[in-house]
Amino acid sequence: MAVGRATRNIDFVGGWRKWFAVSLAVIVLGLAAIGLGRLNLGIDFTGGTEFTLNDPGSGVTADGVQNAVPSGVAGEVTAQRLGNGNFEVTTPPLSQSESAEVRDALSSQFDSEVSTTNVSPTFGGQVRDQALQAVGVALAVIVVFISYRFEFAFATAAIAAVIHDILVTAGVYALVGREVNLVTVVAVLTVLGYSLYDTVIIFDRIRENTPEGEYERSRFDRLINDSIRQVITRSIYTSLSTLIPISALLIFGGSTLSDFAFALLVGILAGTYSSIFIASPVLSLYKARRGARPQREDEPQPGQV
Amino acid sequence: MPSRRNSLLILGLVAILLAAAVYLIFIRQPVSQATQLGLDLQGGVSVQLEGYRTDGSEVERDEMERAVQVIRERVDSLGVTEPEIQIQGQDQVSVNIPGITDTERAVEVIGRTAQLGLYEVLAYEQQDNVPEGEVQSAEDDLRQSLKDDSEFEEGETKILFEESPALEGEGTYVAGYIVSEQPQITGGALDSATVGVDDQSNRIVQMNFTREGGQQFTDLSQEISQSTLGAGEPGRLAIVLDDDVESAPVVEQAIPGGQVSISNDSLPGGLPQDEAEELQVVLETGALPVNMRVLSVTTIGATLGAASLAGGLIAAAAGFALVLAFLTFIYRALGMVASAALLIYAFLLWGVIVAVPITITLPGIAGVVLALGVAADANIVIFERVKEEVRRGKTPRSAIALGYQKGFRAILDGNLTTIIVAMILFGLSSGSVRGFAVLLSIGVLLSMFTAVVVTRALLGLISSRGGLNLTPRMLGVSPDSIRPAGRGSESGEKARVR
Repeated sequence: MAVGRATRNIDFVGGWRKWFAVSLAVIVLGLAAIGLGRLNLGIDFTGGTEFTLNDPGSGVTADGVQNAVPSGVAGEVTAQRLGNGNFEVTTPPLSQSESAEVRDALSSQFDSEVSTTNVSPTFGGQVRDQALQAVGVALAVIVVFISYRFEFAFATAAIAAVIHDILVTAGVYALVGREVNLVTVVAVLTVLGYSLYDTVIIFDRIRENTPEGEYERSRFDRLINDSIRQVITRSIYTSLSTLIPISALLIFGGSTLSDFAFALLVGILAGTYSSIFIASPVLSLYKARRGARPQREDEPQPGQV
Repeated sequence: MPSRRNSLLILGLVAILLAAAVYLIFIRQPVSQATQLGLDLQGGVSVQLEGYRTDGSEVERDEMERAVQVIRERVDSLGVTEPEIQIQGQDQVSVNIPGITDTERAVEVIGRTAQLGLYEVLAYEQQDNVPEGEVQSAEDDLRQSLKDDSEFEEGETKILFEESPALEGEGTYVAGYIVSEQPQITGGALDSATVGVDDQSNRIVQMNFTREGGQQFTDLSQEISQSTLGAGEPGRLAIVLDDDVESAPVVEQAIPGGQVSISNDSLPGGLPQDEAEELQVVLETGALPVNMRVLSVTTIGATLGAASLAGGLIAAAAGFALVLAFLTFIYRALGMVASAALLIYAFLLWGVIVAVPITITLPGIAGVVLALGVAADANIVIFERVKEEVRRGKTPRSAIALGYQKGFRAILDGNLTTIIVAMILFGLSSGSVRGFAVLLSIGVLLSMFTAVVVTRALLGLISSRGGLNLTPRMLGVSPDSIRPAGRGSESGEKARVR
């Protein structure tokens, strides 16, 4: 109950300007980084060829690996060391024979197993479209689902929170310069599901606490605050219990899984924050606008003055 | 709270399921062979192809299905085990071949359209000893000059090229042939193909026609032998594979018997061994009904796969152990029950993976780990409710009953959203992402069963008559925080009307 007690004095709904400002700052920074072209799109989206050298041993440097690529075959080559001692070499899309040439050169020079991935630019474009489509469809279906299980106001608030999470995750990726690949997109979609789940749990409590009868703003806001306080312990514990296995993936999982885990880590932190500090205030603000309307029919709408 | 009898029934069912899982995982086959591993965990080649037509029209579903048939035969003839070939979307096909490393050959064999055509040559021109790098411009020159030939007629005829090592000396022999738009004989007339040797002990690929095809070929060779090219030169037959002329031998008389061979006289020993075998495979398995272009090729080395598997398993095990510790620390007796349920969950999930069977990939492991978080969460939602009720002064027994009752709706809604997202992922994506979506969905469904039904039965049994007497402290609630029953307090309570 320590968490519950500590939050007794926080006005989750009334303090929305503060919470929104924090998120806005992160999002603006992230969008600026994306605008500056810092988003590092991997070959899954752009097309290209990637070689992974399996643990060539100590004493091997990224520069050494880069120089081992036969010149004239590959064009622009970048090499980097991965966390687990493997090296990754990325080039523009190569033909099968060119790719075999580079692979053989690398594997003979470092006496190491080389794995390759070759993605054509067309396919990269398709993957990108598919990913965006998946996000779009997911958002639409969720609006319908939450409108059905709750009401439209809840759906609006939940979507606001989810868009917040996607923007924050994308922004953080641009800020830290980590590679965005297919795995990242899967992680973002997963976060979308998770963040919604978190939001749904809070909304469920709000729904349960909502009395029959007329909507009244101050009473509804108080009720949201109370509902959050009732479930905040659960929110934090759940985040912890999800972050524990994710941290294990981040630490032990090798490069692919750690990429995935990083996106989840950022997304789940954002998602936990957004369910409490974004979704709930948005619900209150939306309800206040909509709920106020019927009584003020002959007056100008707020915001149009 | 379910009755003692119901609890026992549920736990009996769980015991049967566990026994089935033990049988599937450990007894039916050695445990090391129980789980199917994906390419990323055991190494192999994965090729993604896209079918297309040269005229840009849409590829039909049944054409893709026929293409998959052909590809399957070709992969089988490579002599590898358990290839996985799937159509994805309208016009894509993914081919996963575990355990091979010769990507170049695999891609060449799989993706080759292998449209065979036999044409009567109407006119031709050639250039010998073309230096490397000038082949393209030589072809352009030939095309230019052939277009002025009287035999060339736009729309009725086309120009195809042959490139082979020079007949004598350095460079490449390049020839352009004017042939009719459609071949006189297509690959459909072919019965089989074999690798053999000719009279000079050069390696050739021998094509054997069907009875009907043999008759067509006799007629065609008859016709060609009676025609002449330009200055009284004897007629030629062009053997064309995928719009490349393989050879264009002179036909001096009708050839009966229905056999024709592809050879390469300019190389000592004829066709190279692997090229001949590859040709034999693509001819034997027939042409793909559509053209294929390679979208992506992934080769994973066996060592990298093994390292990924080890990393994934360690991560999953560590995550699992820590979640159990966390739940037990926070919820004491309840947490231990939840931990038992999570262990059951993990084991049943493994059983499902083996039974279906589901191929485990890295994203799949991620799905399992994430579902673990969701499973733990279901218990957290319920247990927080239970603690809440205990603090309101309810007895542990009725608090547990209320906790399940009130927590269930939130868990159901929450898990449904997760499953919806997983289904969208499954529907709109391909390959490895699907593995993630499948395991996440199965994990979430299974976790609803273990985290809600099984824990409830376990608790029902524990707290039933003759069982353990649960105290608030055993549920992780300190006695100080309990308010006497019946005294409503706090604003949250006032808002509650129901």
